[in-house]
Amino acid sequence: MNALTLEERGISSRVMWLYLGTGLAVFALMAVLGLTMRMAQATWISLDPTMFYAIMTLHGAGMITSMALCGMGGLWSLMYREHRMRPSVAYWAYGLVVAGVVAVLLSVFPGKFGAGWTFLYPLPFIGATWPSWATGLFLIGIALVTAGWIVWCIQMFGCVVSAYGGLRGALAWDLVFHPKEFAASGREAPPPQAFAALVASVDGLLAGAAGMLIGVALIVRWLSPSTVLDPLWAKNLTFFFGHTFANLTIYMAIAFVYVGLPRYVDREWHTSQVLAVAWWGTLLFVATAYFHHLYMDFVQPRSVQYVGEVASYLAAFPPAIVTVFGGVLLVYRSRMRWTLGSLFMYAGMAGWIVGGFGAVLDATIPINSILHNTLWVPAHFHTYLLEGVLLFVLGWVFHNLEERSGAATSALVRWIAGLGIFGGGAIFLLGFYVGGADGVPRRYAMQPPPGPEISAWASTGAIILLAGLVVVLVEGIRLARKRAASAA
Amino acid sequence: MDFNQAVLTVFIVGAALIVAAMAAVALTSGGAPQPQSEVQPRGYALRRRWFWALAAATVLALIISLPHLPYPSASAMAADMHVTVTAQQYGFTLPAELPRGRPIIFDVTSRDVNHGFGIYGPDGRLIGQVQAMPDYVNHLPFTFTVPGHYTIRCLEYCGVGHAYMQASFEVK
Repeated sequence: MNALTLEERGISSRVMWLYLGTGLAVFALMAVLGLTMRMAQATWISLDPTMFYAIMTLHGAGMITSMALCGMGGLWSLMYREHRMRPSVAYWAYGLVVAGVVAVLLSVFPGKFGAGWTFLYPLPFIGATWPSWATGLFLIGIALVTAGWIVWCIQMFGCVVSAYGGLRGALAWDLVFHPKEFAASGREAPPPQAFAALVASVDGLLAGAAGMLIGVALIVRWLSPSTVLDPLWAKNLTFFFGHTFANLTIYMAIAFVYVGLPRYVDREWHTSQVLAVAWWGTLLFVATAYFHHLYMDFVQPRSVQYVGEVASYLAAFPPAIVTVFGGVLLVYRSRMRWTLGSLFMYAGMAGWIVGGFGAVLDATIPINSILHNTLWVPAHFHTYLLEGVLLFVLGWVFHNLEERSGAATSALVRWIAGLGIFGGGAIFLLGFYVGGADGVPRRYAMQPPPGPEISAWASTGAIILLAGLVVVLVEGIRLARKRAASAA
Repeated sequence: MDFNQAVLTVFIVGAALIVAAMAAVALTSGGAPQPQSEVQPRGYALRRRWFWALAAATVLALIISLPHLPYPSASAMAADMHVTVTAQQYGFTLPAELPRGRPIIFDVTSRDVNHGFGIYGPDGRLIGQVQAMPDYVNHLPFTFTVPGHYTIRCLEYCGVGHAYMQASFEVK
């Protein structure tokens, strides 16, 4: 790693905060929309089904994009320290993603496009309650987001292979298979966050290619209604793209923990052979686990159903045995400095494992028969998104704010924020899990019993959770202003 | 306790253990510190055991789950009674009455978009499902052992009437 000049620090900081700020702003809007849907399901408010499904579509697409933006900006700035990249490319990627978000937003408000973020062919074109232009605008929006993502992945892949002497170096191949020669050569293995960048860029490119393929195919279908696609082919591409893109958000965000957590414990998180091999596993399993979305499509080849279950199980190994275990070991008897930054990073690892456990249960085919497309599905991904990815992002934001301001958050504010985010979050998430186990379907504007009753206390939990996040926002502004004041 | 509630219980117990273990480690950070060089060897030894425990649990889960896949065998496809189910925004076409104790293969398809064919038992529990896809027929094997009123709900988002898309039949 070469030390950054003052100018380079500015470049790194501007790119990071642009992405993080935009991502968190989109997140805030999507969170309010999510609460609106939960309150409608609780029958606290009345929401026309057309509007409910339009909001649902925006919420799904927007939430994943918001966390991806945070991961992209943060990881870009971390890898910029390793190998200089052109910021103009990062701005182009940002511009494409934001243009896509705006297009999706306009397709929903005022277009009321409501085919879900999954836009499963041929739903966008059959029985639509929205105008045709909204369908086109939504598809173009998704294609723009995907294009921005691909640009980012290409630049990140180039960065990783340039920084460590090609793909072999980036994979730490010689560290794993020729450790003595590697040590004797005096070379250094890539730091842990570089593996996150490698996996995000490689699997991200595969997912992006699939997303662009289905996106363009649907745009062609929109322009030429006589075009016919194979629904199973379309479903595979959609879920490969969507699942992988969503899944990669946490693998990008864990880079913040790799870099940030050691600074709170004054210990090192270095690359070992085990860590390298674990990331090789992640590279493979993240790209093959999506088959579990199609267990209930019995016409899929039986072999890929087996691959789906095995890959979903094995995808849990690297985080459970290496990354989170390593993080826990880092904290054990360490005299950790507990701040909001370190609290979020540490708690986020618990959220990741708990959400992953829920996902592994659902990835077991006989269990999937009774949980597929019930509230259990949003249960597990809200767990690792809210109590995992978001906490890693907030942990990184506060780590930066704390370092720059030299100030810390009081214990009282930490407790209030913690109670809101973890207490409210637990109530909110349990609503999904209990509803899922009771067979309450997901994506229902009006739920059958016991859905509305469960939604009522889940909404209460969501309000407490959002209150906790507001406390965090106020505290973040306070630290940022303190830094600005000290800089002046 | 039925299967659905057993899954929920396993999850809650597992989640509680994960949170408790991580909270316990967090509490150690307030005590007397130990150098990383002392913590790591013991941690790595524990990690090896953790790996083998997780590997054993994975193998066990595969051994238990793979013989109970919901997919039909070739012999069942040939021998069992076939029932055609057609989904269409926003309803299902299927017989009003089905036999108890006789193996059935539901031949499920869709006339328009993707739907889900979710079977809810007389007690309101979801007991099985399959996707209803345009251009494809999915074959769901099922044997009803309990008589009563069964409800079908759509379990794949299919448009503005998705939540109202249901049907029912009696098992006698």
